[in-house]
Amino acid sequence: MTHRIDMTGIGKSFFATRALDDVDFSCVAGEVHALVGLNGAGKSTLMKVLGGAIERDQGRIEMDGRDVAITGPADARAIGVAMIHQEYSLIDELTVYDNIFLGRELHRKGTPFLNKAEMARRVRAELKRFGLSLDPGRLVRDLNSGEKQIVEIMRALMSEAWLIVMDEPTSALSEGDKERLFHFIRRMKSEGVAIIYISHHMPEIFGIAERVTVMRDGRIVLSERTTDTTEEAVISSMSGSELDDFVKPHKAAEGEILLSVRNVSKTATYHDVSFDLRQGEILMLTGLRGCGAPELAKTVFGLDDGYRGDIAYRDVRLKPGRGPAAAVRDGMGLVTENRDTNGILAPLSVRDNIALPFLEKSLSFGLIDNTRIERLVDRAIRDTSAKTSSPSQEIRFLSGGNKQKICFSRWLDRDLELLVLLEPTRGIDVHAKADIYRIIEELAERGVGLLILSYEIDEVVMLADRVITFYEGRSISEYVHPHFDKDRMLADIAGTGPEQAA
Amino acid sequence: METAGKTTEQSPSPAISALAMRYLVLAALIVIASLGFGFANENFFSLANIGILLRSISVLFIVSMAMTFVMLTGGIDLSVGSNVAFAGGVGVIALTATGSAPVGFLAAILAGMSIGLINGIFVGRMKLSAFMVTLATFALARGLALVIYDADSINVSNAIFLWLGGTSWGNVPVVIPFVVLVFAVLSVVLYRTTFGRDVYAAGANFKTAFVLGRRPERTLVWVYILSGALAGLSAIITVGRVSSGQPWAGLYLEFDAITAVILGGTSLFGGRGRLFGTILGVLLYGIIINGLVLTGTNPYLQSLIKGAILLSVVLLDSWTQRGKQR
Ligand SMILES: Nc1ncnc2c1ncn2[C@@H]1O[C@H](COP(=O)(O)OP(=O)(O)OP(=O)(O)O)[C@@H](O)[C@H]1O
Ligand SMILES: [Mg+2]
Repeated sequence: MTHRIDMTGIGKSFFATRALDDVDFSCVAGEVHALVGLNGAGKSTLMKVLGGAIERDQGRIEMDGRDVAITGPADARAIGVAMIHQEYSLIDELTVYDNIFLGRELHRKGTPFLNKAEMARRVRAELKRFGLSLDPGRLVRDLNSGEKQIVEIMRALMSEAWLIVMDEPTSALSEGDKERLFHFIRRMKSEGVAIIYISHHMPEIFGIAERVTVMRDGRIVLSERTTDTTEEAVISSMSGSELDDFVKPHKAAEGEILLSVRNVSKTATYHDVSFDLRQGEILMLTGLRGCGAPELAKTVFGLDDGYRGDIAYRDVRLKPGRGPAAAVRDGMGLVTENRDTNGILAPLSVRDNIALPFLEKSLSFGLIDNTRIERLVDRAIRDTSAKTSSPSQEIRFLSGGNKQKICFSRWLDRDLELLVLLEPTRGIDVHAKADIYRIIEELAERGVGLLILSYEIDEVVMLADRVITFYEGRSISEYVHPHFDKDRMLADIAGTGPEQAA
Repeated sequence: METAGKTTEQSPSPAISALAMRYLVLAALIVIASLGFGFANENFFSLANIGILLRSISVLFIVSMAMTFVMLTGGIDLSVGSNVAFAGGVGVIALTATGSAPVGFLAAILAGMSIGLINGIFVGRMKLSAFMVTLATFALARGLALVIYDADSINVSNAIFLWLGGTSWGNVPVVIPFVVLVFAVLSVVLYRTTFGRDVYAAGANFKTAFVLGRRPERTLVWVYILSGALAGLSAIITVGRVSSGQPWAGLYLEFDAITAVILGGTSLFGGRGRLFGTILGVLLYGIIINGLVLTGTNPYLQSLIKGAILLSVVLLDSWTQRGKQR
C-alpha cells in the first residue's frame, strides 16, 4: 500500500517568533514534494516538527489516516520518516558503515560483539544497487561533501524509511554529485519512497518534483503540481512581489592593482597560479569541487602558509604565516564556505557576531562604544535583510540562510579593500541573492576588490568582471566581461577544454 | 522582511530571559538559605556575622570571577588553589627578606602570574588540554609552595601587608569594598573592552575567532595570566586574614570556585555566562557552607553537601539545556 503523511494545523512559536502558523502539509509515497520559501520562512522548522526534533505547539500529524504521536526523533524513525538535516549530522571519527548503522548495529548471533563484516557488506550491496562506489570502511572525516551526502542518504534509506526529508541537500554538492543525487532520487521514487525536498534552486525543483509548496512567514501560500505552475509564479508567491532581477551595472574603468599573485603552488592543491586583482574589480574563480581554488583564496587571506611563490598586496609582499589577524588589519575580509564550523560563533548574539571584526574601530577612550556598535549592527542587518527577532538573539537560532547573511554582513562597514568570498550565496533564497549581488556591486563601485569563489556557473557569468577557470589545481583560462562563453567555461572546469586537449 | 530590532519590547530575547530566570532562582535560593540559617541561629543575621561571612568568602569571590573568564573561553584552571599558596609563599618570603610591603605585594602577584603564564602558553599556544595542563600546575604549584615554606607556616606582622585581608572599618572588613571594586573593574574589562569580547569569542568558536583575525591563542594566554594574577591577589588577602603564610592555603579552592561559577550559570563549554551570575553563585554557595559551620553541622558532612550541590547543579543544567532545544 502507498503510505501518506498529513500534517494539519501545525503551529509553533519560539518566544515571540511565530515560526509556523496553522500549516497544512501532505506528502504521498512515490512523489517528490518540493518545499520552498525565503530564508526564515519556516521550512526547516516544519520538517523538524515532522522529524520530532522540535515539539509543535498545535496541530495533528496523521499517517495513512491515523493519528501518530511524534514526540522525539525515535518516534519519527519508527514510522519510517528519516531526516537529512541542513547541517551535517555524521560522526567524523566513525566509518561509513558505523554511521549508517548507528543506533541499530548488527551483532554476531547471541553475543554483544558487533558484526562489522556484515554491516560493511550490506552497505556495499546497497551502494552497488544504486550504482555508487564508496568504500564503507572509510572514515567519514576523509570524505568530501558529496560523499557525506551519500552516506546521509544511505543511512536514511537503510533504516527502512519510506519518507526522506532532504533539507537543502545540494548546497554543498558539485555539479556531478548533483546529477548523481537526482538520479538517486528518481530511483528511490520509482521504488515508492516519498521525498520532501527543500531547495532555493528553481530549476532543480521543476526538474525533479511533482509538487511544490511555498511557505511565507510560517504559512503555506501556494501548493500546486509543478506542471500546473511556473517558476515565476512560485518565486513571486514567496515574497508577494516580483523578483527584481539583478542586472550587472555598467562599470567605469578599474583602479590600481590591489593583489598580485605570482606562480603560487601548494603540493597537491594548486600549481603555478598567477593573476592580478584590481581595485573595484570582481574576479571570480570557478571549477569543480576539489579544484584547489578555495584553498588558493584562503591562502590570500592568510589561512594557509605552506605555499611557494609570491603574493603581493598593495605592492607589499605578504609574508607566509602572517595569519588572518594581519589580513583583517590590512583591510581584508573573508566569508568561509562552512558557516557552522568557522563562520559563526553559535552561542553569541547576532550583535557580537557582526561586530567582532569591527571592535578596534569602535573604541572611545579604550572602551567599546555600544551606540556605535548598535548603529553598525542595525545597518548590517538592514543591508542584508537578515531576519532576526532582535540583535540580541543568539545566532544559532537563525535559519540557515540568515546565518549566511550575517557572515557576509559583518564585513560591510569596515575600511574594506579586499573581500574574499567562498560560495557567498550558499543557502540564500532567490530574492536575497539578488540583494547580495547588488551589495557586491556597490562594494566594487567603492573600489573594493572582490575575489569570489563560486561553483555555480550562472552566478559566475552574471556577476563577474573577470573569470578564471580551474581544473585540478591549475588555472585554465581567463575570460573578461562581456566575452563570457559558458560552454567553454564548463569544458575548462571539466578538463575537456581546447587548451587542455592540446 | 523588516523585523529587525522593532520587536524588542514585547519579546525579550531568549538568551536574556533564560539568564534572568536563573538569576531570580539563585536570588530566591539565597533568601531561603539565609532565612533558614537565620531561624536556626539568631546570630546569623548580626552585622558582625555578615561581615565575617563575606570576609571568609572574599577570596572565593575573586578566584571565581577569574574562573569565570577562564571558563568563558571553554577552559578550566585547576591550579588556582595551589597558586594561592605558592604566590603567598613568594610574597611572604619577599616581604621578610626586604621588609617592604610593596615588594611583597608585587612578588606575590608576579608569582601568581608566572604560573598563569605557564598555563596560558601550554593551553593557548601549544593547544594542550586545559584540564591536563592545569592539573599538572596544580601539583607543581603546591609542591613549590611546600618547598618555599619548608612545609611550615611563616608568621607575618607587617601591618601594611596584612591591611587588605585583616583590617575592618567597624563591622565592615576592608576586603568587602575591595571585592566590589574588583568586580567593577573586571566587569568593565569583560563587557567593554576588546579583550572581553575576545574571551567570549574564543570560547564560542575558536576557529571562527581565528578566521576573523581575533588571535584567540593570545586571548587564552592572557586569560590564564589574569587568573594567575588574581590568585596572587587572593594570596595577599589570605595571608592578611590569618596573619601568616601557610603552605596549605587555598586547599580545594578550585573546587569551590568551579562549583560557584557553574552555579552562576556559566557554561562549561564556553561562550556563555556573566560575572553577575558568578557573584550570586558564590553568595549562595558561601552562605550554605558557612551556615553549616555556624549551625554546628558535622564537618564531615560538609564535603558531602558540597558534592551534592555540584551534582544537582549539573543535573539542573542538563535538564534546562534539553528543554531549550525543544
Ligand atoms: N530554536 C529556535 N529558537 C528561536 N527561533 C528559531 C529557532 N529555530 C528557528 N527559529 C526561527 O524560526 C524562523 C524559521 O526558521 P527556519 O529555520 O524554519 O527557516 P527556513 O525556512 O528553513 O530558512 P532557510 O532557507 O534560511 O534555511 C526563523 O525566523 C528562525 O529565526
Ligand atoms: Mg532551513
